[in-house]
Amino acid sequence: MDKKLVSVLGALVVVLAIFAIVMFGFGARDPLGPFNFSVDQATLVLRFGFVTLGLVIAFGVYLATKENKAWEIGTREVVYMAIGAALYAIFSYLFNGTVIALPSISQVALRPAIAIPMFFGYAFGPVVGFFSGAVGNMFGDALTGFGLSPQWSIGNGLVGFIAGLVFLFKDKKQSMNTVLYISAGLAVVAVVLYFVNSSQANLNYFNPENNTFGETQLSTFAGISILVGLALVLGVRFAFSKSEDIAAAVTWSMLGNILGIGFAAISDIWINGYSLTAAIVGEFLPAAGPNLIFAAILVPLLVVAYSAVQRQSGR
Amino acid sequence: MLVAWRYRFRNSFVQSFDPRAWVIFYLCFLLSTLAFWDVRFLTPMLAIALFWLLSARLAWDEVRRPFLFIGGFVFVFALLTFLTGRGGSEVYTQEHLLRSFAASFTLLGWRPTLDITIERAFFALSQFVRVFSIAVMTILIPYSLNPAHYGITFRGLGLPDKIAYAMDLTMRFIPTFGRDFQLTMDAQRARGYELEKISGGLIEQVRKLGPLIVPVTIHAIIGSEDIIDAMDLRAFGMGPRTWLEELHYRRRDLILIAVGVLLLAASFSISFAGLGKFWVPPQLLP
Repeated sequence: MDKKLVSVLGALVVVLAIFAIVMFGFGARDPLGPFNFSVDQATLVLRFGFVTLGLVIAFGVYLATKENKAWEIGTREVVYMAIGAALYAIFSYLFNGTVIALPSISQVALRPAIAIPMFFGYAFGPVVGFFSGAVGNMFGDALTGFGLSPQWSIGNGLVGFIAGLVFLFKDKKQSMNTVLYISAGLAVVAVVLYFVNSSQANLNYFNPENNTFGETQLSTFAGISILVGLALVLGVRFAFSKSEDIAAAVTWSMLGNILGIGFAAISDIWINGYSLTAAIVGEFLPAAGPNLIFAAILVPLLVVAYSAVQRQSGR
Repeated sequence: MLVAWRYRFRNSFVQSFDPRAWVIFYLCFLLSTLAFWDVRFLTPMLAIALFWLLSARLAWDEVRRPFLFIGGFVFVFALLTFLTGRGGSEVYTQEHLLRSFAASFTLLGWRPTLDITIERAFFALSQFVRVFSIAVMTILIPYSLNPAHYGITFRGLGLPDKIAYAMDLTMRFIPTFGRDFQLTMDAQRARGYELEKISGGLIEQVRKLGPLIVPVTIHAIIGSEDIIDAMDLRAFGMGPRTWLEELHYRRRDLILIAVGVLLLAASFSISFAGLGKFWVPPQLLP
């Protein structure tokens, strides 16, 4: 077995071991034990089974595509990883509402930093995207003093990682349609869940002026913002159908956003003891919906500007 | 041009250790603190954090801004927890009322009332001590860790060369891009751009952030070409990397790591024994 394969396998085993410790060690012992992990004992084995299945799928994808250039890390990738992570950290720090207070519209705060891991993933590959999102989120949280939330760092990493999976496809156009159908399906399911549970609180919404901390009912606009984002992505996809790069960037960013933020929100079922409804409606929708709107507008701007730089520099 | 963090050699206690030992101790401290909600166990953690801070030889002028921001944030957050009771409901199930303040007016039939309970008061106190201890230790890192040692520290902690170097570069780029952002914002303001008065619908507002985000990002990418060329010319990534400086553990570093590991083991043992959970003095309970 080659060295690279062993290291990938090793990393996956470590991730599995961490999940096992969290779920069977902390979670099973006491619902309010160290770190406040609470795990529903009735479905513990089933949930762990899904974690294992997810890792097996990730390993399968790697195994099937390990010869692809998307996984290579050269000098250029190392520098882009650092730039992406630093930019994401800085923008997160500046736009988190404590340094530069941007207005929030119907519970949708303007946090445009998410466009960075999406763009870096799409432009420079899945490894760069993952590093930009995960490490950038970690440093951004550390700069603000909010503490570390590893599951959200991994979720942000996945946003960039999945946006970069476009590198695995030779025909970008063909991949776009599949990605669009999957993303649209997931977005619609989440919104249906919102309409069934419309009284769910928006767990991401904090308004210190009104003494509100994650307990205000999710606004209709925040609840359907993922559909607004989807409509914008569709608009960009078809308005720029001749510019394959712009269309592919927003489409893959959309899938990255839905799966990455979905991963972080669903992991809070174990970590914070949320119900599935609280995780999807209360946490996923108010985060992923606005992200999609930022992706549809800012990612194309970055792609266009970067294309101009590439044309000028010839690199 | 790279702008450095406000690091300088201060010949302090924290700087007398190998940076790897300091980072390992920090991680042990972080996990140990997170294991408790009991203010009796959190107070020694705060004492450890304050000892590190006071022995770091930092001038107040140097750290005033981050401390006022994070200290203020943690205080306000704890105060809001105290006023609203939000967050504590996962830790305690019963509240004992100390005093209730009712407003002399009503709003649409609802009379605003502030209930002060023993549990809310101690939960807010525990939360403040817990988060502030972690914040104090975290703030120390950029002031005490030599930027020239970032890469070798991460490498020494077991990360692959390329990832360690990427982490190193990330920490070095953050202040640089912070300055670039400020310059860009000033330049756009000179052209009439007002971030504070951004108007229009949501989509329009997001679009108007483009003049800030796009130039900073693209400038960073263009500027990276020089760094890439310099690294390529030095054959970066062609073989195992050597570092200009070498770090060697000394006796005091091993002691610090051992203290950190012992702290972690003790915290987890206490926690698994069922101690260290949220606590209120029984004398205060009716």
